[in-house]
Amino acid sequence: MILLEDVTKSYRSRPALRGVSAYVERGEFVFLTGPSGAGKSTYLRLLYRADLADSGHIEVNGRDLARLRRREVAEFRRTLGIVFQDFKLLRRRTVAENITFALSLLNVSEKEQQRRAYLALKQMGLQNRTTALPDELSGGEQQRVAIARALVLQPDLVLADEPTGNLDPERSTELMELFRAINYQGTTVVVATHDRTLIEAHPARTLTLERGQLVRDGWGLSP
Amino acid sequence: MNRHVARELRRQLRESGAAGLVAVLMVTATTALGGTLWAVRQWVRTQLLAADRPAAVVATLRDPASSAELAAQLGRRFPGLRVETRSRAAVRDELASWFPEFGATIQALEEASFPALLEVTVSPSAIDDIAAWLRVRPEVVLVQSSKAWQERVSVVLSRVFAAGFTFALGLLAGCGVVVLLVIRLLVLDHTDEIVIMRLIGAHEAAIRLPYLFCGAVLGIAGGFLGVGLLVLVSVLLRPLLPGTAMQPGFLAVLPVLGGGVGGVGAALGLAALPDEP
Repeated sequence: MILLEDVTKSYRSRPALRGVSAYVERGEFVFLTGPSGAGKSTYLRLLYRADLADSGHIEVNGRDLARLRRREVAEFRRTLGIVFQDFKLLRRRTVAENITFALSLLNVSEKEQQRRAYLALKQMGLQNRTTALPDELSGGEQQRVAIARALVLQPDLVLADEPTGNLDPERSTELMELFRAINYQGTTVVVATHDRTLIEAHPARTLTLERGQLVRDGWGLSP
Repeated sequence: MNRHVARELRRQLRESGAAGLVAVLMVTATTALGGTLWAVRQWVRTQLLAADRPAAVVATLRDPASSAELAAQLGRRFPGLRVETRSRAAVRDELASWFPEFGATIQALEEASFPALLEVTVSPSAIDDIAAWLRVRPEVVLVQSSKAWQERVSVVLSRVFAAGFTFALGLLAGCGVVVLLVIRLLVLDHTDEIVIMRLIGAHEAAIRLPYLFCGAVLGIAGGFLGVGLLVLVSVLLRPLLPGTAMQPGFLAVLPVLGGGVGGVGAALGLAALPDEP
């Protein structure tokens, strides 16, 4: 599913990732953790092809990311669901439009867009907020809209970058349960977080990064 | 155009607001100005300076008494000509009729102050030969032909039209710049959206086409309004310049031109698009 071999990435000569290798199986749930600046976001950016590695090899769903053409990058990203700490919702569009927007890129009919958006929002418990603007929602609701948008395209892989960063502990737990539910349905989920309590509460395979290096690959956190 | 592009296009047009309206009005004014210049130029070429227009040669005579003899010689040399002679008094009367405010003053001048004239109506092809023949005649002081006058008018009008079309082209470039700025503003205003669109797998075409079409539609709308304005101008000009009817093919060019300028402006405005992701 995800294969990284000796991946290195620097920004303006400052190393962000150094010789990272890892393999994630299809259907796995993986935490990516480490202190701020450890390289978690860089790791994810490489996975959704926002950046290219300086050296090494990255494969996602059997695709060599270094060889993707611009058009193929767009197609590739449609197989991913990406969730951000700051939600990255379209501020001037309603909750429903945020979801249908993703579907409209696939030229899905209006009726089908509405149907799938409703189902995705219902799954997130937001079926009554379809006409609200993102700024009218709480942080937890906004994050659920972002997840609904990520899921509506039925991705093979969900990448979440500090998804609970702006949420209180209760909402964070709800969100993690949501990710678990998504994972149980067979979707691979990679969650980057520096929140140790979150990992302790939801133990799973955990990749620990420090100063750009993978220092641990194991179940839960090290004692 | 797929649904996404159509929906985004409507959105961009709505959000272009006052700036978009300015772009439309600029294209309207420019296409109407260019169209008017073109129509007047066509009228000048086909009516005022038409090659088959009857030509005339006018000779100023040294001695009015020689006019009849000269007309007879001219008739023998170039058969079939229509030659008219005008006495000094007739010239004075005509001049007074041209300038009625000075009519009394002109009429008060001595008849000897005015020249007698020989006016020859000729076909355009023979005008140079007749003018040359008259110039070497000792009875003739000065020869003027309508061809020479037309050439001078043609030179002056060519320069006027060249200046006008250059100005219109400059305005058209200005329209392109305004559309560019409108699209640039829209792009900058939607930077976050564009980044998100890319992250959820939008193709570049899906991102760029709504902006490109928006620029083109602003230009086309301006072109159509320009056509309307031009038709109005042509109705107003018709009494002054008969024969200035607008050709449908020519009118159809204006929206296309507006759309082209809008499209190019939009394409340049898209340079403001954020880089990857």
